[in-house]
Amino acid sequence: MRRSSIRVGVVFIEGTNCEDESVAFFRHLGAQAERVHLKQLTGDVPAELRRDLDDYDLLMIPGGFAAGDYVRAGTIFAARLRSKLSKDLIAFVRSGKPVFGVCNGFQVLVEAGLLPALGATMTAAPEAVLATNDSGHYECRPSLLKLENGGSCVFTRGMKPGRVVTFISAHAEGKFLLPQNREKKMLKELVDNDQVVFRFVDDRGRYAGYPWNPSGTTYNIAAICNREGNVFGVQPHPERCFFRHLEPSWTRESGGDSQYGDGKALFESSLQYLEKRF
Amino acid sequence: MVRVRVEVHLRKGVTDPEGDNVQKALTLLGFKGIGGVHSAKLFLIDLATKDTKVARKEAEEMCRRLLANPVIHEYSIAVEK
Amino acid sequence: MDDRLRKRSSPFPLYEIPLRDAKVGDLKSLSEKLGLSLSIEEMARIQEYFRRIGREPTHVELQSLGQAWSEHCCYKSSKVFLKEFIFPVQAPYVLDRGDAGVVEFDEDHAYALRIESHNHPSAIEPYGGANTGIGGILRDVLAMGAQPIALADPLHFGPLDTPTEGLPKGTRHPKYLFGGVVAGIRDYGNRVGIPTVAGGIVFDEGYLGNIVVNVACVGFAKKSQLVRNRASSVRDVFILCGGKTGRDGIHGVTYASVDLTDRSVREWEAGAVQLGDPILKEPLIHACIESAQGGLLDGMKDLGGGGLSCVVGEMALAGGFGAEVDLERVPLKEEGLAPWEIWVSESQERMMLAVLPESVEKVLRIFELYDVPATVIGRAIPEKICRVRYRKATVLDLDLEFYTVGPEYTREYRPPRTVAMKDLKLPPEPTDYRTTILRLLAAPNIASKEYVIRQYDHEVRASTVIKPLQGVIGKAAHGDAAVVRPLVDSWRALAIATASTPHVTSLDPFLGGATAVDEVCRNLVAVGARPHSLTNCLNFGNPEKPDRLWSFREAARGLGATAKALGLPIPSGNVSFYNESPLGPCPPTPVVLGVGIVEDLRRCVTTDFKKSGDPVVLVGTTQAELGGSEYLRLQKKGQGPPPGVDPRALRAAIDHLLAAIGAGTVAACHDLSHGGLAVAAAEMALGGDLGADLKTTAMDPMRWDLQLFSESNGRWLVEVQKDRYEEFGHLMEGTPATFLGTTGGTSLHLGKGRQWTSLALPVMRKAWGETIPRQVVVT
Repeated sequence: MRRSSIRVGVVFIEGTNCEDESVAFFRHLGAQAERVHLKQLTGDVPAELRRDLDDYDLLMIPGGFAAGDYVRAGTIFAARLRSKLSKDLIAFVRSGKPVFGVCNGFQVLVEAGLLPALGATMTAAPEAVLATNDSGHYECRPSLLKLENGGSCVFTRGMKPGRVVTFISAHAEGKFLLPQNREKKMLKELVDNDQVVFRFVDDRGRYAGYPWNPSGTTYNIAAICNREGNVFGVQPHPERCFFRHLEPSWTRESGGDSQYGDGKALFESSLQYLEKRF
Repeated sequence: MVRVRVEVHLRKGVTDPEGDNVQKALTLLGFKGIGGVHSAKLFLIDLATKDTKVARKEAEEMCRRLLANPVIHEYSIAVEK
Repeated sequence: MDDRLRKRSSPFPLYEIPLRDAKVGDLKSLSEKLGLSLSIEEMARIQEYFRRIGREPTHVELQSLGQAWSEHCCYKSSKVFLKEFIFPVQAPYVLDRGDAGVVEFDEDHAYALRIESHNHPSAIEPYGGANTGIGGILRDVLAMGAQPIALADPLHFGPLDTPTEGLPKGTRHPKYLFGGVVAGIRDYGNRVGIPTVAGGIVFDEGYLGNIVVNVACVGFAKKSQLVRNRASSVRDVFILCGGKTGRDGIHGVTYASVDLTDRSVREWEAGAVQLGDPILKEPLIHACIESAQGGLLDGMKDLGGGGLSCVVGEMALAGGFGAEVDLERVPLKEEGLAPWEIWVSESQERMMLAVLPESVEKVLRIFELYDVPATVIGRAIPEKICRVRYRKATVLDLDLEFYTVGPEYTREYRPPRTVAMKDLKLPPEPTDYRTTILRLLAAPNIASKEYVIRQYDHEVRASTVIKPLQGVIGKAAHGDAAVVRPLVDSWRALAIATASTPHVTSLDPFLGGATAVDEVCRNLVAVGARPHSLTNCLNFGNPEKPDRLWSFREAARGLGATAKALGLPIPSGNVSFYNESPLGPCPPTPVVLGVGIVEDLRRCVTTDFKKSGDPVVLVGTTQAELGGSEYLRLQKKGQGPPPGVDPRALRAAIDHLLAAIGAGTVAACHDLSHGGLAVAAAEMALGGDLGADLKTTAMDPMRWDLQLFSESNGRWLVEVQKDRYEEFGHLMEGTPATFLGTTGGTSLHLGKGRQWTSLALPVMRKAWGETIPRQVVVT
């Protein structure tokens, strides 16, 4: 499909706060993009505002504090999604269309059972959780992420495995946890399936602890995808490094011609995937 | 109307940064002899039924679908008269 | 209710107060009984009004007057001085002066700025106080039709290591207050999705009884979406939107207009502090901006102090109309609120819109999509009166000018009897400069605030191009200003910085006000921004005490004069009085937020040393000025007058330095303030993880500690691009620029002839980084 006919839906509810820039950046790359309130998808709006998941080729759930992160980060949004849109979501994912969860969006996808999705496309109960940071508080800091994925993930296909990128961590609940009694087994499965996409590293490329791993997340996991690679959740924010001048150390570098930062590659990769596949 | 007390707490072995931080803060404020601080969430839910069995079943469903994540949480339910 | 009050016949309790024949003693006791905090003279003025119109007031009317005439709402003690010194400082590019100042950004766009205090509520309930402070300042900017794009918070607390015994009853420990305030700002700002990019934290014993919590906001808008804070048409309808109205916060403003004593604390604890709801505020901002962008709003204003009782009258009067409100239409949080409670409630997250009848439907539909309540509750009327009805009875009917304008006082002011310390008495020279510098780095006013900064989301909205922490990843140190990019397709940006000067102001309030302006300008210029506009918050004690008022007047005078000399307009401002407790008044604290324009953000620079072998240059003149300095506070010996301010020299230095930065000759730049040259050099080394070798012989014969620790104004430390050094020199001609040495190595060497010292980076980092996390935990 042509880039200009790609339709991106950035879903939000009260408390989601990264939707404006997410829409702007997809548009900047030539795709159509709009903010869509969950209510517009579930039907609680006047007819002219109504939307369907089918109206979109790529679904994004951006960062923020959807529903205040009350009860648990992402869980109320996930519950509302599941209660009315389960069938449509499963169909969307199975059709191979990309689903992009950033920070709060990652939390939503995990609570909704769409990631890591080892047992099914959308598991009945969550298989993992993004729990409170070990430090006990919000962490806003630049993070270094190493690309582990070998090519299954549609959001990183254009990037070379082993590459280290800078994204911005900004969360209080980013610690990826698997059930204690099955942790080893599930982690092995994730690695074998090429579902671990990014892991936190330090400035020498080592899988280090705090603050390089800002939350204490298992296996330094910063981002995962489903087995097919089209559902992707990343804890730090790539959009906050979309442009070179948003990156934390740009005044220390001589620059070069590109106006873009490390985050752009994820957006670009997903659009290229759609151009080729559909 | 019955009121259901749902308490959600962390499974044994799961790190409790909130509890640890509160303990540290209390110590810095001068409190002594604190053996431990464990965080938990309490939901008091008023349900339009008089049947305790029905209320309990509803609350279990609420925990399953929203209030607790089985990966790290355990919960207890008590129905108040 | 008092048995003097007579009940009117109505379907709900409505009382009449026998005011017209009341005696002087009755006036005072009535004000106290009803919690009005009005003086006898003010009560007498009200008495005269009702004698003239020939009836008694209802209790709702008296409550309303108490709100509208409180210090917090009508600035009665400060207006006269603000009019003399602050308001006249203007510029042609100021577009509006309303709830926030609005200033031109480029041909099609504008930015808004405002700063506010939340001192009293934060002293009692720090989390809720700070929380609602953020909520309030966002609404002030939103009320202009501007999208909030950045927050800043200058905070002031007592020392974290204060022993618990000896704190007066009712005074909370600084650790508790610090933790609560930071958490309150964090939880609100992060949830509502507006980045907190600047601010500062000052510790001083003087704040033990009175913390000072100021919060600032900058917003951005297309000029076509700007809105005024008033009804524009006599056909306008008033729509109340946002949160529901409840009992929270009743008497918040009257409470903020009296000293903090244990009794006042207990009395107001129940009602005066509220909790914000950022998850309601976030969609509220969306809905208001969308309405403004659609050209659907004739006016907008936020509900702050006094709630409905202030906003309706102010909006109507500003438009030249009156207003009629039906309290029954106000959505309520709970049953059983009396009409006066609905009218004066300060429940959070509410805005008032003035909308033409034909646009009402469209506006209501926008709010419905966002699940934000919006209700028509009244309308504008041609007569300049305010009429409020509830259940078919009229509970308030007042002349609008009398009601809203409020008294204005020129109270007595007099300098204190203690004379300023004019003579410089140096402390004994340090025998070990290394230890002194490390102790300064570890001093709470200088030490790393990373622990706090990293809890605030300073990156949300993906627009923060120069961040509050600058340098090598994992080693970043404090920057002087942040830069936010409001337009994706433009390189033009806004720089934001704050400055707060209690220590200088305590010695010389005129200089304190002047220094705040000097400092904030230096901060903006350090990143490559041209200072463009200012806003101020003046935090002082009880204005009914002549020495506090004198101090306030002098600070306003210094601030205004310096801003004028630099050509910087002050389109908005805030005053907080009555910051007094049994421990005395708070340190006199003028706080300034500065906004600068960055022509091309690609030219911005940061504080961290970049490359080995680059020349390091001191811009500006160092004098033997230690008054108010961190060094004297550390040594606990010595005294002196505070540093002077030279606006002419500063103006020239700004022009030259901006030219040098704009030409790309500068690799790093940092302004000198607390701790002087030594600390500034250390901070640049820490952020860049790169040492330097600096010799200050050029300042001889000044004693070495004066050279290193003097806090003279108008100075920066600059790392120049090695191969552009000559060009830098040419561009700086006319402003003193002294070569000190070069960057390089893993230590900071400082020397002067035979005196020298060396500090390794890891040692400095440890001293600088441990102070705050070791003393406090924010949960």
